[in-house]
Amino acid sequence: MLKVEVFSSPGCGKCTQAKSMLKAIVEEMGQGRITWRDVNILEEMDYAVELGVMSSPAIAIDSKLVFSSLPSPDKLRAELSKRLV
Amino acid sequence: MLTIGKLALQADVTTDAVRYYEKEGLLAPARKTDAGYRLYDEDAVRRLRFIKQAQQCGFSLTEIRELLTLKNSDEACCKDVKSVAIAKKLQLEHKVRALQVMSQALSELITICNNETRPLDECPILAALETSMAKQLKGDRNA
Repeated sequence: MLKVEVFSSPGCGKCTQAKSMLKAIVEEMGQGRITWRDVNILEEMDYAVELGVMSSPAIAIDSKLVFSSLPSPDKLRAELSKRLV
Repeated sequence: MLTIGKLALQADVTTDAVRYYEKEGLLAPARKTDAGYRLYDEDAVRRLRFIKQAQQCGFSLTEIRELLTLKNSDEACCKDVKSVAIAKKLQLEHKVRALQVMSQALSELITICNNETRPLDECPILAALETSMAKQLKGDRNA
């Protein structure tokens, strides 16, 4: 089971829109094989620092920082496909 | 209008600092006298206080420039400033962690020294530092 975690701060309108698009991709590709978690960076700052997150938004997969900004849908798709094989 | 001395006094900075911020493009005089002396308005006082406060929060001059640009931009909003502040906090938290690791390493070194009367060439702290450096160099060569 892949674990996708998206670090962002609440109220970021730009992020909300982009995140919902990425979440839809995860749901479409995952079919029970990928979990999605919205992480409030302000509430989980220690965890973010532990993973090396230096800016928000960012995406970690299986507790490893993979994208230091929100990726394009194609990039996320490619990354997930690689890991689902 | 304020001279550079009065401006520095009001904002509680030195005149050298005012000149430096000006050189860095963070501040500009409102006008110059016929004799070429710089004159500043109240906005310069506010700007200097802003710079000082931001520096106290750990922002570099480059980041302060970014914040000042955001402050004067019609397109930017509060969220943009919040993102900069969050990125800064993350950076500071990373530094705090790195400092904690350094502090822990020093604690370990201090613990191994149990006899302060030994000659310097038997100093376990220096020996440990040399050993760890040798290990590091060996590791670098094998990498």
